Amino acid sequence: MPKVTIDGEQIEVPDGATVLQACELAGKEIPRFCYHERLSIAGNCRMCLVEVKPGPPKPQASCALPAAEGQEIRTDSQMVKLAREGVMEFLLINHPLDCPICDQGGECDLQDQSVAYGRGGTRYYENKRAVTEKYMGPLIKTVMTRCIHCTRCVRFSEEIAGVDEIGALYRGESMQITTYLEKAAAHELSANVIDLCPVGALTSRPYAFEARPWELKKTLSIDVSDAVGANIRLDSRGREVLRALPRINDDVNEEWLSDKGRYMVDGLTRRRLDKVWIRKGGKLQAATWLDAFAAIKRAKPGASIAAIAGDVVDCETMFAAKTLLGAMGSTLLEGRQTGMSYPTGNLAAVNFNSTLAGIETADAILIVGSHVRWEAPLVNVRLRKAVKRGAKVFVVGPHWETTFPAEFLGDDAAVVHELPGHVTEALAKAERPAVIVGGAGLAAGVLDAALALDVQRDGWNGFNVLHMAASRMGGLMLGFAQKGGIADIARAEPKVVLALGADEVDWSQFAGSLKVYIGHHGDKGAHAADIILPAAAYSEKDGTYVNTEGRVQFAEKAVFAPGDAREDWTILRALADAFGVRVGFDSLAELQAKMISEVPALGVEGLASYGKLPKAGKTKAKGAIRYPIQDFYLTNPIARASVVMQRCSAELLHGEDLAEAAE
Amino acid sequence: MLADKDRIFTNVYGFQDWGLKAAQERGDWDDTKALIARGQDSIIQEIKDSGLRGRGGAGFPTGMKWSFMPKESKDGRPSFLVINADESEPGSCKDREIIRHDPHKLVEGALVAGFAMRARAAYIYIRGEFIREAETLFKAVAEAYDAGLLGKNAAGSGYDFDVFVHRGAGAYICGEETAMIESLEGKKGQPRLKPPFPAGAGLYGCPTTVNNVESIAVVPTILRRGASWFASFGRENNKGTKLFQISGHVNRPCVVEEAMSIPFSELIEKHCGGIRGGKDNLLAVIPGGSSVPLVPAEQIWDCPMDFDGLKELGSGLGTAGVIVMDKSTDVVRAISRISYFYKHESCGQCTPCREGTGWMWRVMERLRTGDAHIDEIDMLQQVTKQVEGHTICALGDAAAWPIQGLIKHFRPELERRIAEAGNLAEAAE
Amino acid sequence: MGFFSKIFTWWDGATIGTSLWSALNGEQVGTDLAGNRYFRAKKRVKAGQPFAGSERRWVIYAGANDASNVPAEWHGWLHGSVDGVPESRLPPPRVWEADHTPNATGTATAYRPQGALERGGRRAAASGDYEAWSPDA
Repeated sequence: MPKVTIDGEQIEVPDGATVLQACELAGKEIPRFCYHERLSIAGNCRMCLVEVKPGPPKPQASCALPAAEGQEIRTDSQMVKLAREGVMEFLLINHPLDCPICDQGGECDLQDQSVAYGRGGTRYYENKRAVTEKYMGPLIKTVMTRCIHCTRCVRFSEEIAGVDEIGALYRGESMQITTYLEKAAAHELSANVIDLCPVGALTSRPYAFEARPWELKKTLSIDVSDAVGANIRLDSRGREVLRALPRINDDVNEEWLSDKGRYMVDGLTRRRLDKVWIRKGGKLQAATWLDAFAAIKRAKPGASIAAIAGDVVDCETMFAAKTLLGAMGSTLLEGRQTGMSYPTGNLAAVNFNSTLAGIETADAILIVGSHVRWEAPLVNVRLRKAVKRGAKVFVVGPHWETTFPAEFLGDDAAVVHELPGHVTEALAKAERPAVIVGGAGLAAGVLDAALALDVQRDGWNGFNVLHMAASRMGGLMLGFAQKGGIADIARAEPKVVLALGADEVDWSQFAGSLKVYIGHHGDKGAHAADIILPAAAYSEKDGTYVNTEGRVQFAEKAVFAPGDAREDWTILRALADAFGVRVGFDSLAELQAKMISEVPALGVEGLASYGKLPKAGKTKAKGAIRYPIQDFYLTNPIARASVVMQRCSAELLHGEDLAEAAE
Repeated sequence: MLADKDRIFTNVYGFQDWGLKAAQERGDWDDTKALIARGQDSIIQEIKDSGLRGRGGAGFPTGMKWSFMPKESKDGRPSFLVINADESEPGSCKDREIIRHDPHKLVEGALVAGFAMRARAAYIYIRGEFIREAETLFKAVAEAYDAGLLGKNAAGSGYDFDVFVHRGAGAYICGEETAMIESLEGKKGQPRLKPPFPAGAGLYGCPTTVNNVESIAVVPTILRRGASWFASFGRENNKGTKLFQISGHVNRPCVVEEAMSIPFSELIEKHCGGIRGGKDNLLAVIPGGSSVPLVPAEQIWDCPMDFDGLKELGSGLGTAGVIVMDKSTDVVRAISRISYFYKHESCGQCTPCREGTGWMWRVMERLRTGDAHIDEIDMLQQVTKQVEGHTICALGDAAAWPIQGLIKHFRPELERRIAEAGNLAEAAE
Repeated sequence: MGFFSKIFTWWDGATIGTSLWSALNGEQVGTDLAGNRYFRAKKRVKAGQPFAGSERRWVIYAGANDASNVPAEWHGWLHGSVDGVPESRLPPPRVWEADHTPNATGTATAYRPQGALERGGRRAAASGDYEAWSPDA
């Protein structure tokens, strides 16, 4: 713990801290462009210069200088002021005066820091440099003349994303940042470079010229595009969500967000269900709420009513449905739309027990049936970190392009029963072994085989199940599971099926039921439904979500649902009146209180405790593993409605040459 | 004047063959086994005693540099010697002469120096444009391998040592030690942040020392003839002999080995046939390659040519690439051209150098024609100060110093041009 | 113009009082193309009053009492920008000068912004718009 003096104030800093971090601890603001907490140190912007004694009589780059015992650091001397002014002047001489037409305006590091640390006027009378535009794909808009060569984007794609996509060409003044051969950046986290870019060189293409940051209402929310539950901030203006940005949460998403979570928000304004529809004579016709409720009442379901939850619904909606069904005398609840039927008696067996942050520290990892890059890109980042620390990764399942060295053991799920010797040895010798079972693995029945692997150590539980649906863990906690999965429900032949945004279900098995779709997007479920009741998307209601590691998180309502659409729980509450039963809540607060009293874990933000792992059963895994996600960009109804996601899918996955690229 | 018997580089003019046999006749590879048998610490001590300072420009004591290398590998990492033959400094042409006419001095030096710093191998990074020189060096190394002087049990010493020759791609910045290491690793040639210093984590993360060709090539001779012999030349703290390269407006430009601290006048009169047009025609001298400030005629004439002597004049010895300019020189244009060189060769990694070199060059171009305001001279001076000392490597300093030297010594000339251009502009109106 | 409307309305032309006053104290200096008549007082404003010594100028409209009926050149005269009547003081109108049109607000030719219902209600997309789903799509 070295002691340093910063501007005359003595402070003790942790071992290995840099001078910049020491200054931050002392509450001094150090301007910087290239330095970023989660990237390697480049030290090339030279903005963070401070005066350090002992040392050469010139300012030092504080981001790269280790804090050492007895250093005297000054951040307020004339030398430091001049150095900052000088560097800022250099940064600005070739930076275009684009601020009025630049999307970064208002949230630009260069703008802010030039106000704080720059000179008043210019002394540069030469021509400014101009750089040709680069094409970086459908998500990243480039204006490379604005680039200040901090290389954050280069370091991100190299270190975090693990793909060598962005680099620098040429040298000196002519240096240019580009993707190799101007290929589109095609990995799942590519848009994070937009957040990293301290200037307006890399901006968001779908959001281009949409809004200024000060016009936007910021709402704290949770990403529902996968089961990681990334913490996001929804920026909305009026009734429209314009963009989603990641929030910092080291336990979940650090400060990254997958491209899908970030850019599917434009799907929130397309294909929206904004009025009630009733199928008459085989054709859906617009109707009123009262007609719809009357039609549902006419079906006289009694206890013969089921509810199937979709992938992006919140716990409140599921609980409201559960209470309604309970009042009717039914327990036909299911959330696993595609027909999986793994046992849910002990939720620890279907949880990501090592935690997302914990998997970084694992030293031997067996992935069974999970295309992690597509099913949870942010977990893939963690895996890459683990590998960088020396972890070995083995994968059972068809080959996918990993961003780290990994050994593929075969496509057949049965491999888990007879793992090769070096794999069992690696797992046995590891201090922190981990197994990750994905959706495809669960479908192939590897759960018991995986439980049989010894991946528990003192204070470490390496048994992980990686889900893909934001609603999954919450649904399981609320009992949205039948022993035989959805087949049990089909067998019960309910008179009425409530589909809570359920779009992945094979509806042909419910041919005899009245299918009431309560959801927000006109997707597969809506096309199959007999009655459509328009509801709210995740941005339009307060809700509780539980991610794949059992972390309970709350999302807030950013905007109102369009047209006649209502928040889901109010629809279910009104249905209760139509059926003449009592559910015991009249407001969201009452509903939440009731939910928490039934499942206390849902009331506490943070990891829910599921207890110990069960003993392994005897089910044998068999069959080829098939990953459920065929198209990363189109996995949920919101993403499927999104123009941006469709375009990404067409261009990045299906290689279509779009007009922009052809130009 | 240095006696012929005291010259280290006996074939610097290429009058004899460069090959192994001829080199051995000149005394190279003479019982190298015995040199190595003296032991690492003894060799380093001998070099320390000789007072040899790095010949690449910075003048850091070579023996001390070697002593920073780890005495034994704690984690199994090998150590490396990297030899900097990326001689791109305008005005310098000594390494080239060594490599093409006396390569075995370098190869033998690599073995001895590598042994002294416990290196596993030496990498010679040769400038991309040196095509024939690289061919010579490749052949020389191959000859040494064939003769058993390198490789396993090098020169019968029992020490295993390899020498690799790596050709650069023609970037000046790769002459900076950490950029050279990056380039050797196959990356974009950009200097690294220090610390960590190469002696701790250099090439492939292993302890590395980067030395200039001349510093390495003189080592075997120093060891053979003794530190006291080498130290008998030059002033205190500036010992030994040195290859001076005199170019520009002298009657006979040449590369010559001389004792350190030789007065400038003696160097010019004895070896170069004097200044073109006589002593009075001398305008200024850039004494150490383009990156040191120029020195006007009246100050340089009696100055001893060594590290400290030139430092007192606000300049430096650098690589001892003496550029002589007589009064026919457009000195502003000359410095402007040097500015362009640094603008062209800046790697673009850190801000002050990337943006500042281009700005300085553009202002210099305007000052050359006088198309500037009188205040811009001070502004340019400030800009050079904003670049100097704010960059990762020394290229920023090197770009700033020539301009600072110009403003310091030739400010009236700059003002005259601006005034004349202004008068012309007024007359034209 | 009917006698009764002259007595009971004020919004077309001058009232009886104004006509009388104009006839007694004023001197007509000209008319514009629309038929508006322009007057000036025979006497200058008395000393001791506001704007003492200046000339009072006024207009009697040919139709509705709408100040935007006054064309630019007479507007200038009314406000004292030019001394003499416009014909005598201003250069002749150029061929490219558009004819004066009164303010169209409240009339059928009034300006309607883009997206106004009178223009068909089609407007550029704005935030908050959404595309509703329909089963036929």
